[in-house]
Amino acid sequence: MTEPRPSGPAAVSGVEVMRGIGAQEAKGFWADAWDRVRRRPGAMLGMAWIAVMGFFAVFAPLIANAHPIRLERLGADGQVLAVEWPLFAYLSPTDWLLMIATAFGVPWVFFGSGRLGRSGRIGVLIGLAMQAGATIVLAALLIWAAEGSGIESLERLTRLDAGPWPLVLASAIIMAVLAIAVPIAAPVMRRLGPILGAAALGFVLSWLAGGRTLVNHEQVILDEAAGKVRATWTLIPWSSQYTRSDMVGIAPGTRVADLEKTASFKGTPFGERRVLLGTDAIGGDVLGQMLWACRLSISIGLVSTGISVVLGVTIGALMGFFGGWVDLLLYRVVEIFMSVPTLFVLIVAAGVLPRNTYVMMAIIGFFSWTGAARFTRAEFLKLRKMDFVQAAQAAGLPVRAVLFRHMLPNGITPVLVDASFAIAAAITIEATLSFLGLGPDGQASWGKLLSSATAATGTFVWWLAVFPGLAIFLSVLSYNMLGEAMRDAIDPKLRKAAH
Amino acid sequence: MATYLLRRLLLMIPTVLGITLMVFMLVALAPGGIGAGLAVQGGQMSDTSKVAQMQAYLEDRYGLNDNVFVQYARWLGRVSPLKFGTTPLVAPTGDLVREPRDLPEPVMAWAFPAPAAFIVQYTPPSGEALVEDFKRLQREAEGTRRTYVGSVRGVKDALADHVRAIGAPWTARLEPKGGADPERFRDLPLDGDAPTLVKLRAAAATMHASWSEAEAARQRATIAFLARPYPAAGIEIIPNAFSLGAPDFGVAFSRNRPVWDLIATALPVTILINFIAFPIIYLVAVPTGVLASVRRGGAFDVISGLMFLLLYSIPVVLTGVFAIGFLANNQYLGWFPVSGLHDSAAATMTFMPYTDAAGAWHRGWLIDMVWHLALPVLCLVYAGFAVLSKQTRAAMLENFSSDYVRTARAKGVPSRDVIISHVLRNSLLPLITMFVGIFPAMLGGSVVVERIFTIPGMGSLVIEAINLRDRELILANTFMISSVSLLALLLADILYALCDPRVAYD
Amino acid sequence: MAAHDMIAKPAARTLEPLMSVEDLAVSFDNGSGPRIQAVAGVSMSVYPRQTLAVVGESGCGKSVTAMSSMQLIPRPPGCFDAGRIMFGGRNLLELPEHEMLKVRGGQIAMIFQEPMTSLNPVYTIGDQIMEAVLLHQAVSPDEAAGIAIKAMADVGIRDPEGRMRAYPHQFSGGMRQRVMIAMALACRPSLLLADEPTTALDVTIQKQILELLRGLQQSSDMGMMLITHNLGVVAENADVVCCMYAGRVVEYAPVTELFDRPLHPYTRGLFRCIPGLSELRNRLVTVEEVVADPREYEGLRSEAGPVVPWWPFMDQSQRPALDDPSRPYALVEVSPDRWVGCWRTPEVARHPSRPPRIAPA
Repeated sequence: MTEPRPSGPAAVSGVEVMRGIGAQEAKGFWADAWDRVRRRPGAMLGMAWIAVMGFFAVFAPLIANAHPIRLERLGADGQVLAVEWPLFAYLSPTDWLLMIATAFGVPWVFFGSGRLGRSGRIGVLIGLAMQAGATIVLAALLIWAAEGSGIESLERLTRLDAGPWPLVLASAIIMAVLAIAVPIAAPVMRRLGPILGAAALGFVLSWLAGGRTLVNHEQVILDEAAGKVRATWTLIPWSSQYTRSDMVGIAPGTRVADLEKTASFKGTPFGERRVLLGTDAIGGDVLGQMLWACRLSISIGLVSTGISVVLGVTIGALMGFFGGWVDLLLYRVVEIFMSVPTLFVLIVAAGVLPRNTYVMMAIIGFFSWTGAARFTRAEFLKLRKMDFVQAAQAAGLPVRAVLFRHMLPNGITPVLVDASFAIAAAITIEATLSFLGLGPDGQASWGKLLSSATAATGTFVWWLAVFPGLAIFLSVLSYNMLGEAMRDAIDPKLRKAAH
Repeated sequence: MATYLLRRLLLMIPTVLGITLMVFMLVALAPGGIGAGLAVQGGQMSDTSKVAQMQAYLEDRYGLNDNVFVQYARWLGRVSPLKFGTTPLVAPTGDLVREPRDLPEPVMAWAFPAPAAFIVQYTPPSGEALVEDFKRLQREAEGTRRTYVGSVRGVKDALADHVRAIGAPWTARLEPKGGADPERFRDLPLDGDAPTLVKLRAAAATMHASWSEAEAARQRATIAFLARPYPAAGIEIIPNAFSLGAPDFGVAFSRNRPVWDLIATALPVTILINFIAFPIIYLVAVPTGVLASVRRGGAFDVISGLMFLLLYSIPVVLTGVFAIGFLANNQYLGWFPVSGLHDSAAATMTFMPYTDAAGAWHRGWLIDMVWHLALPVLCLVYAGFAVLSKQTRAAMLENFSSDYVRTARAKGVPSRDVIISHVLRNSLLPLITMFVGIFPAMLGGSVVVERIFTIPGMGSLVIEAINLRDRELILANTFMISSVSLLALLLADILYALCDPRVAYD
Repeated sequence: MAAHDMIAKPAARTLEPLMSVEDLAVSFDNGSGPRIQAVAGVSMSVYPRQTLAVVGESGCGKSVTAMSSMQLIPRPPGCFDAGRIMFGGRNLLELPEHEMLKVRGGQIAMIFQEPMTSLNPVYTIGDQIMEAVLLHQAVSPDEAAGIAIKAMADVGIRDPEGRMRAYPHQFSGGMRQRVMIAMALACRPSLLLADEPTTALDVTIQKQILELLRGLQQSSDMGMMLITHNLGVVAENADVVCCMYAGRVVEYAPVTELFDRPLHPYTRGLFRCIPGLSELRNRLVTVEEVVADPREYEGLRSEAGPVVPWWPFMDQSQRPALDDPSRPYALVEVSPDRWVGCWRTPEVARHPSRPPRIAPA
C-alpha cells in the first residue's frame, strides 16, 4: 500500500485545525482588518490623498493667503520704517487651533510613547476631533437658536461684546457630559481628553468674535509696485475670498503682466505672478479657492458623518435592544426618512435654512442617519439573542453596561466601515448643494467653482470644471476605495449583518 | 392580496404625513419665513410702508401669520380628500371658492377698545343675480379685508416708531428686524401727546374704521356664499359639514397658478427620465454582477468592480458639467443639445423619423426626444451600476455557497443551470429590495440632472420654488415626490411577495 | 463475465465493490495559512446492498471523501493530491464534467445534514424532485411528475399529489429530509452517500429516517455510505465501519467485530467514552486519556510481525523506526477483514496489505 505524496511540509489535517494546531496567531479584529486594508494599493492611495487634503485643510491659510507674511514699510530712500506680520494677525482662532493641534497631534500619534498604543493614540485624537467638531456645530446651532428664539435674555447672550462665549462653553460642557455618558472607551485618559479638549476649545472660540486685523490687499500691491513696501508673500498669494475685477476668467498659467488690463504691473512682483490654475468668473484665484475648499469638504464629510453615526447608532441600538413598541415606533420614523428622496429634502432644507457651514453639517447628518440605524438595529437584534449578552444580563449587569460594554463594540463594526462611504456621500452632497447655489455663504467650495464652469453666457470654462471636478472626484473616490477595502476586510461579519 | 394592498396603502398615509410635516416645519423654521420671498415679489413698490402692507396682506391671504401647526392642519385639510366644514364651491372657471374667512382681531384692544360686534342684514337674490351679486361682494370683501390687514400693520409700525422714539429700555423688546409685537407692549404707557403717539392713535382709529367696513363686507359675502351661487365641489355628504373632494394643492404664490397645473406638467417628465434610466441600470448591472460572481477574483470581477467604483465616485454634477461642456457645447464637440426636453420645432415634427422627397432626413419627435434625453439619462444611470452590481455579486456569492445549490449540484444539474435557475433566481430577492434604496436616490438625483440640463421636471420646479420661497409649491412637490417614491416601493414589495413564496400576504 | 458487462452493471453480484476509494488525498488552500490536508490517504469500499459507516470527529475528512466522489469539492481552493475513486470501472476523480453530470444524481445520489437549508426555498417540492428525474431519465414532464409522486409516496409522505405543490418552508425538518431522500432515490441510484442525514433531527425522526433508508436500500440493491459520528446509528445500521482520524483511516472492520474488539487505541477511546447505564463513574473517560496511554499501543500483530498503531500525536520516543519518514502511515490488515492504521515500519513496507474490502456475506 502506497502513501500519497505529501502536498507540502506546511499542511495540517482537518482535525489538527479543529484542535487549533496550525492556526495563525490571532490578531485583534481591527489589527487584522487594518492588515488587509494595507495590502490594497487603492486604499493606500486613497488614504494618501485624504492625508494631502487634510494637510491643505489645516494649513490652507498659511499656503494660500492674500495677506503677506511679512510687510516692510519702506521710506523714500529704501530704509525699513516698520515691519508688520499681516498674515498672523489675520489668522482666526480656529486656524490656530487646527494648526497647533495638527502640529502636535500627528507627531504624537506616530512617534509618541506611553501607556497608550498607537491605535489608542489615534483613538484619542479621533475622539478629540469628533468632540471638537460636535462642540463647534452644537455651539453654532445654539447661537442660531438663541438669536431666533424671541426670548430676550437668550438673545442678549449672543450679542455680548466678547462674543457668544457662554453658549460656546455650554455646548462644550454638554458634549463633555455626553462623552462621559457614552463610555465606549474604558481608559480614563480617553474620557478626560475630550472633556479637556472641549473646554479648551470653548474658551478659545470665545475670542472668535474679536476683530481680526486685515490689510488692504489691493493697496499693498499698488504700494509694492510703487516701491513703498516690500512684502513676503505666501506660496499662493490669493485668499479664497479675494477677487479682482480686472482679472476675470484668466486661463491657467497666465502671467499677470501679460493681460491687457493689468499690463501696467509689468516688472513689479505682482505682474510677474502666474495664475497657476486660472481665475473664475468674478476674478478669484482657482488654486487658492481649491485649497481653502479642502477644509469645507473634509469638515463637512467628517462632522456630518459623525452626527449621522451618533444619531443612527443611538436610535438603532434603542430599536434593536428594546424591540417591541420602541422598535415599531422608531422604525416608522426610519421608514419616513428612507422612503423620501434624501437629496430632495436636503435641497429643500438647504434652500430654506441659513446658508451656513454648521447648518449644512447638521442637515446632512440629520438626513442620512437611517443607514447606520438600520445596520445597528439588525446587529443588535442579532446580538440580543447571543449567549454572551444573555450571560451579561443574567449576571445582573445594568442595562447601560450591557448596551455599551458588551453590545455596542460588537454591533458598531458595520457602521464604522460604512462611515467611509457616508463621508464620500457627504462630500458629494456638499458639492451638489454648492453647485446648486445652496452651499454655505462666503466659503470657497469645489461645487461652487464647478457651477461657474457653465456660466450663464453659455461658454464653457474648462479649467473651472476640470480642476475642482478632479478634486471632488479624487476625494470621493479615496473614501470609497477605503470603504471598499475595509468592507472586504471584514466581509464575513458584514455579509450577515447587512440583511 | 387585496387586504395586503389595502393595508400597505393605509400605512403609506402616516409616512406621507410625516414627510410633509417635516418639510412644513423646515419651511416654517426658515428665517424670514415665506414672507421674505413675498417681499421680493412686491419689489416695484418703493414706499416701504406700502411694501409692508402688501406683505401683511399676502401673509393674511395665505394664512402665514398663524401658528405653524394651524397652518399645517389647514394645508392637510385642503389636501385630504375628506373635507370637513363648509363645502367649497366651483366657479365656472374651475377655481375653488371657499367661504370667506373670519377677520383677524384688531390689535391693542387693551388700549384702543375694538368696535362692538354687529350683524349685517342682507337678503341675497336668486338665479343669475345671485352670481353677479356674489362676485361683487367677493371683490368687495377682498378689497376691504386688504385695507384692514394693511391698517393693522400700520398700527404695528406706528407702535414700533413710538417705541423707538421713547428709546430704552423699551427698544430691547423690539424684534431683531425692528418690528413690534403689540403683545409685548401691554404695559407701555400710552398717555401724552408725543407726535408718535398721536400717529399711533390715528392708526388705531383707521384700523377700527376699516375693520367695521371689512366685517360688514365679509358678512354679506358669507351670506351670498351660503346661498350657493355656484355648484358645490366634490361629493357633499353632510351639507356644509363633510364632503369628499379632490386634493387641492392651492395656488403657487410665485406664479399665481394652481400648483396642480405646474405639477401635472412637471411630474411626467421626471417619471419618464427615471423609467428610462431604471431598465438601463438593471440591464447593465445585473449581468455584470452575475459574471463577476461566477468568475470570482478573475480579471472581469476585478476590472468591472474597479470601473464601477470609479464611476460611482463621480458626482452627478461633475458628469453633468463635463457632458454639457465637452459633449454638448459647440465650443467642443457639440453633439448633443445643451438643454431642454425638445427642440423648439418639436411641435411641428412628425412622430417617427422619415426621409423626405429631397432625400433629407428628418429626425421626428421621438428621435428628437431620445437625442435630448441621452445625456441626462447617462448622468442618472452610471452611479447605480456600482451599487446594484456589487449587491448582485454579493447575493450570488452568498447563494453559491448555500446548501440548496450543493443539493442541486449533487442532483447533477449542469453548472449553467445551477447559476441561472438556482443561484440567480434566489439572488433576485435582494435585487428587488435594492430598488427600495435606489429609487429615492434616483429621484433625488434627477432633481440635480434636471437642473443641469434645464429639463422642466419636478427638480427644476422645486429649485425654483425654493428660490422663491413658494411654500405651496415646495410642499406639493415634496408630497408628490414622496408619493411616487412610496408607490414605487409598494410595487417593489408586491414584486418581492410574488417572487418569494415564504412571504405571506396576510 | 466480460469486462464491459462489469462496467455497465456495477451493481452486479460479484466480488467487485460498487465503489472503491483508493489512497485518496485531498487538500485545501487556506489563504495565508498552511494548506489543510483534509484527507491524507484514505481507502475504503462499498458493495451493493452494503452500508459502510464512516465515523470520526469533525474535521477528520469524512465529508470531504464523500464530496470528492461526486467532484463537489470546489477547486480551487480544493485539490486532489493523489489516489482515485473507482466506480463502474472508471476513476470518478478524472471524469470530465459532462460525464460527471450523469453520475451525480443518476448513479450516485447524496443527501445532506441540513434538511432545513438544503432545499431551494423558491421552488415547489415537486419541481425540485422532477428536476432530478428530468435530468437523468428520458421521460416527459407528466411521467416525471408520476415518478416524483411515487418517490414521495415511497418515503412515506402522505398526500404526495397535494404536497408536490408545497414549498419547502411549509415542511418540518423530518419531512424535508424525506423529500431529500425522495429526490435522491427518484432516479434509482446504485450508491447513496448519506452525509450525517439525521444529525439535525430529533431522535424519533432519526429512527424513522434510518429505517426508511434501510428499507429502500434492501429493495433496490443500493450501496450506501453513511457518514455519521453517532455510534448508536452505526451499530444499528452499518455492515462495515470505517473509522477515520486526521484524514486517515485508523480502523476498518465489520461492524460486529469492531464493536466486540476495537483494535486501534483511538477506536477503543471512542467506545470507552460512551457512558454505560450499569457503570457508576465519577467522571467520564475521554478519548485523549486512552490514546495518551502508551500501553494501549502494545501487542498488535499482523502477518508482517508486530505493528504499532499510527497516532499523529504520539511521542517521538515511542514511535517505531519508520521505513520512510515522509510516509509514516499504512493501513495494515492485521487479521482477515480487520484493518488498522499503523506506523509504516520497514516490515510493514515489505508486506503490503490488500486494500480494505469486506464483501457482504
